[in-house]
Amino acid sequence: MVRANTYVDRMGLYIKIVLGLKRSEPGLIDVQNLKKSYKSFQAVNNSNFHVKEGEIFGFLGPNGAGKSTTINILSTMLKPTSGEVTINGYDVTKHRNRVRESIGIIFQENTLDEKLTAKENLMLHCKFYGVPRLKRKARINEVLEIVDLKDSVNSLVEKFSGGMQRRLEIARGLLHYPKVLFLDEPSVGLDPQTRAHIWEYILRLKEKENITMFLTTHYLDEAEISDRVAIMDHGDIIAIDKPKKLKQQLGGDIIEMTTTDNEAAIQEIKANFDVVDVSLKDDVIYCKVENSDAFVSNFIKTLQTPLTGLDIRKPTLNDVFLSFTGREIRD
Amino acid sequence: MEGIIAIWQRDIIKFFRDRARMIGSFSMPILFLVVFGVGMGGSMESLVAAGVGPEEDFNYVEFIFPGIVSMTLLMTSVFSSLSVIQDRDFGYMREILVSPVSRVNIAIGKMLGSASVAFIQGVMMFVLMPFLGITIDFVSFLQVLPVMFMIACAFSSLGLFVASLLNSMQGFQLVVNILVMPMVFLSGALFPLNNMPGWVDFLVTLNPVTYGVDLMKHIMIDVENLSAMVQEEMGLNLTFFGQPVTMMGEIIFLLGFTTLLILLATLSFRRAND
Repeated sequence: MVRANTYVDRMGLYIKIVLGLKRSEPGLIDVQNLKKSYKSFQAVNNSNFHVKEGEIFGFLGPNGAGKSTTINILSTMLKPTSGEVTINGYDVTKHRNRVRESIGIIFQENTLDEKLTAKENLMLHCKFYGVPRLKRKARINEVLEIVDLKDSVNSLVEKFSGGMQRRLEIARGLLHYPKVLFLDEPSVGLDPQTRAHIWEYILRLKEKENITMFLTTHYLDEAEISDRVAIMDHGDIIAIDKPKKLKQQLGGDIIEMTTTDNEAAIQEIKANFDVVDVSLKDDVIYCKVENSDAFVSNFIKTLQTPLTGLDIRKPTLNDVFLSFTGREIRD
Repeated sequence: MEGIIAIWQRDIIKFFRDRARMIGSFSMPILFLVVFGVGMGGSMESLVAAGVGPEEDFNYVEFIFPGIVSMTLLMTSVFSSLSVIQDRDFGYMREILVSPVSRVNIAIGKMLGSASVAFIQGVMMFVLMPFLGITIDFVSFLQVLPVMFMIACAFSSLGLFVASLLNSMQGFQLVVNILVMPMVFLSGALFPLNNMPGWVDFLVTLNPVTYGVDLMKHIMIDVENLSAMVQEEMGLNLTFFGQPVTMMGEIIFLLGFTTLLILLATLSFRRAND
């Protein structure tokens, strides 16, 4: 059966090569013209993206942007209205079980059975995914090691803290050696310290296993760790690039300042200084400059209007989102 | 295959871990045994005696015991199956649905889990027999076990199908009121259903509990040694739209019922994807 399938896969591959249909660099996740609409509502609008092997791909956007819909389609939980989605070479509507074997998912909400122990939860997962009987024990030890939960293997999950439960879910998602790990808002509902820990584990995992990760988040700092970020709003992907590149597109650093007379200060800045952009919001002046280090020393010396406060910062993804949509990401 | 076992195993582990539920689920059957057995027993027995003559040895508790066991099977099966609603609310269903386990195996695994839990509860009811002054011989006991498991499977698949129609646990009480209790009362489990109006008779005929109870009665009660009059009075001569019902016919009905509802439940697990 297995042999027959690989044979068919091979044949398919040869045919594609012969016909020249095979893409030069096939991604682990390929999404083409993906659309999902409900009766009167377009949840995902013609999305296109590719995720490469070993990459951390972040999906950033406010709540309701279409992130969860996308992840549900990629994980076979939801049928797309149209478009083509393949994961690890398998179509998510035609070869659902092949896709399911290729992916691990950490859901937004807790999907552990709290009345069972950590070990029982993991053992059930091994059975659902057909992990060979003789390898189960070793695998369970291995994943528990990664998330530092070896000592709690026989405790009931309901006794675990929120952070421990998250870690156990991450461990469970890895048990069947998925090609891609989906993380849907992995740190939502956790305190900042636990959030930091969870990310430590995720990054450690990435180093150790070179696993491909697809994560959705509305936390900006979490998106920053991605190799590439897709920014989504109202069902549209409005930008995809490396976080650094996206920020560079904004054209420089941001200087925030308060003065005794904001109107006068803006007049003065526009007249005397070389800035990309200057704006006033909530009594704070925002200046965009190409290179803040060179700009600021001269600026402080020569500005006539008295300054009451000054803050220089590198642009964040929130600034990127703001420049694309005119809104803050947390609106 | 392994997926079926895993889903089944989860229910079994949780059942043995939750002692309170195990004990709590006995309260209703015991209440019914007391109310119907002790409370109504005397008048039922004198009614039968008035009808067929006092020389007949008729024990009403012996008559309702199989009915109460079936009721235990029904309630435990349906309630256990309804736990899929809880799984849906608390997220574990997603863990199962996103795995490569086929949808029909999910339904079968869940059905077997609920049925096994109900079966264990049902068998535990036999511990009460000495206190009720009734006995069962070993051969009948061995015969009744597979029948009980089959009945539990039928009721579990019904529970699974109902669960697939409900959106929340709020519907739970409704199911108990409009489905489970009428199914018990319209089955002949607690009192014979003779000379009923046509529409009641129709419901009784389509009720799977009717055949489960009747099968158990025929195995557990020494029917052949009862007089024809008592058999008739106690509703032991069932008919299916005019045809006399045989035990084989009842088994086929229950197996068919189980298969049909499992398929319907499977369809609803599929639909969860759209």
